[in-house]
Amino acid sequence: MPSDLDRQIEQLMRCEPISEEEVKRLCIKAREILVEEANVQAVDSPVTICGDIHGQFWDMMELFKVGGACPDTNYLFMGDFVDRGFYSVETFLLLLALKVRYPERMTLIRGNHESRQITQVYGFYDECQRKYGSSNVWRWCCEVFDYLALGAVVDGRVFCVHGGLSPNLQGIDQIRAIDRKQEVPHDGPMCDLLWSDPDEITGWGLSPRGAGFLFGADIAKAFAHHNAIDLVARAHQLAMEGFKLMFDQTIVTVWSAPNYCYRCGNVAAVLELDEHLMQEYKVFQHAPADVRSIPAKRPPADYFL
Amino acid sequence: MHNANPDGDEAIRQTNSDAAVARLSAAQKGYISDPFVRFLLPRGAHLQPPRPPLINVGTYVRSEGIDQLVNQWLELCERDGKQCQIVSLGAGSDTRFWRIAAGARANVLAKYVEVDFAENTTKKAMAIRKSKELGVLLGNQDDVSLSNGGTTLHSPVYHLLPADLRRNPSESLAPLLASSSSDGSPMLSNALPTLLLFECVLAYMHPEDSDALIAWFVEYFSTEQSGVLGGLVYEMFGLQDAFGKVMHTNLKARNVSLPGVEPYASVASLPTRFTRHGFTTSHAITLRDIRRSCVNQSELERISHLELLDEVEELDLVLEHYAVTWGVKVNCVDAQALWREWGFKPSRN
Repeated sequence: MPSDLDRQIEQLMRCEPISEEEVKRLCIKAREILVEEANVQAVDSPVTICGDIHGQFWDMMELFKVGGACPDTNYLFMGDFVDRGFYSVETFLLLLALKVRYPERMTLIRGNHESRQITQVYGFYDECQRKYGSSNVWRWCCEVFDYLALGAVVDGRVFCVHGGLSPNLQGIDQIRAIDRKQEVPHDGPMCDLLWSDPDEITGWGLSPRGAGFLFGADIAKAFAHHNAIDLVARAHQLAMEGFKLMFDQTIVTVWSAPNYCYRCGNVAAVLELDEHLMQEYKVFQHAPADVRSIPAKRPPADYFL
Repeated sequence: MHNANPDGDEAIRQTNSDAAVARLSAAQKGYISDPFVRFLLPRGAHLQPPRPPLINVGTYVRSEGIDQLVNQWLELCERDGKQCQIVSLGAGSDTRFWRIAAGARANVLAKYVEVDFAENTTKKAMAIRKSKELGVLLGNQDDVSLSNGGTTLHSPVYHLLPADLRRNPSESLAPLLASSSSDGSPMLSNALPTLLLFECVLAYMHPEDSDALIAWFVEYFSTEQSGVLGGLVYEMFGLQDAFGKVMHTNLKARNVSLPGVEPYASVASLPTRFTRHGFTTSHAITLRDIRRSCVNQSELERISHLELLDEVEELDLVLEHYAVTWGVKVNCVDAQALWREWGFKPSRN
């Protein structure tokens, strides 16, 4: 029933959670759509590519102001919708509702935080418990996480992934062979796609995060060449200026959570690819405090005092 | 001297609770070992949830960095065949005295003096009196006494003194340190190497007040030819950037301001807080660099397995806004070579 869904979208746009029953139905519907998607979803330009959001709902509203409303703008979110911020529930459910309402205009791929294990440490689990009084909503959302695509390719030329590359994957086609419908494993190619980072090294290195790998310019360029792509767009790492191009523009980090964790003081960005895949980075600031960007009874930001 | 603002003072005292909760959390998760932290927790602190991984890692680096310098100080004194004195200013719930007293170099310590707001020392004195584990390390119970309405505690080595460090030291500190024992000798000998510890305390004071405090100690130890005065500061700095502006705003919401941080825009500027008082040497290093170059690889690997740290950039961003600054003033030229050794040793094993 689109009218029902439109009402839920309106409600979520005001940062008001929908009912538990509505979440259940939304998650079932979303899974029906996501199960049909490929591990690497094909997306057409023009498209606006977004990085980590991390439950910073009011800052995502700033993103939509800068990037345009869905469905007028075609969006690709590269994961990490939840955890850390105060509004993971509203953020993820709004993106999911938009996905169900406009499946062709909204692409969601999985980040390392879309995982049962990580959300229990970094806030989404607790937020679901607090807002719904049980872990049902968290459980249903995690079931949706298992169906999210692992990557996307825009016009066959821009590869989008949350984290980065894997020593076990030379070709994008190899990603298609992964059975993705599971919790994020602790190692292996699926884990690497969600956890790895580019770094100023040669070849592969151990990641200080404890999962995934570091990879150098040589690896990124060989991957781009082998797969005939122009650019790897990824998220996963805080970029103080909102985006960071590396390795002779072979790879870009897009970061869409301004003043990350209400502590970092960074700006955020989205990457607009036009129909010729020309790149335009749109930088934006965090929402003003007077639009309830931070709840009145918030836990204070942590420092060493 | 700046007059105290009562709400701001309470907010500053609350920062001690933050530090204690962070330390408890890091100990419970296995980052650090501190058997004494649970006896000195402020009221309600044990009910706080564990801190996030980033804070636990940072607490580990802070603790490890300061421990390395203090342990090396004790080692140098031992090598020099001397006992030493440590004065911890704004000590709060710190457990360092007990960790040293239970360790291998307990006998190097001639005096350990802690100074803090009377509100904090009263609670700490009471906690010490209540705990057998803390009490036993102070020595014979007959030699331990409370005074000044429970705000002060004396024992043979350990002394807990109430003072507002923003006040003129000749009026606030001098009388407290003047008389400790029946023989009338002052609590601190100006002939023994003495280390001043400032862990997150000068940041809350106006620079002219912390200058007056350091100058008072410099003066105290200047008259004896064998005098050695060390200083160690741990706190935030470089808050002119975007991260720093957010920190100021977030702390202001808790009624905490950081006037002492203003003069220190860069890590290079930090040693001037000692060199301008004639210290022989002074250096500073950020927590980010301590983590990168002064912590054993095996330790880094051990702590990386305790919790999944999801953000390394955020960790680096936070850690590069905190630093340890240390310096030493050696009156006798012949002794300077030994004390110049005091500092971090890069560790790569």
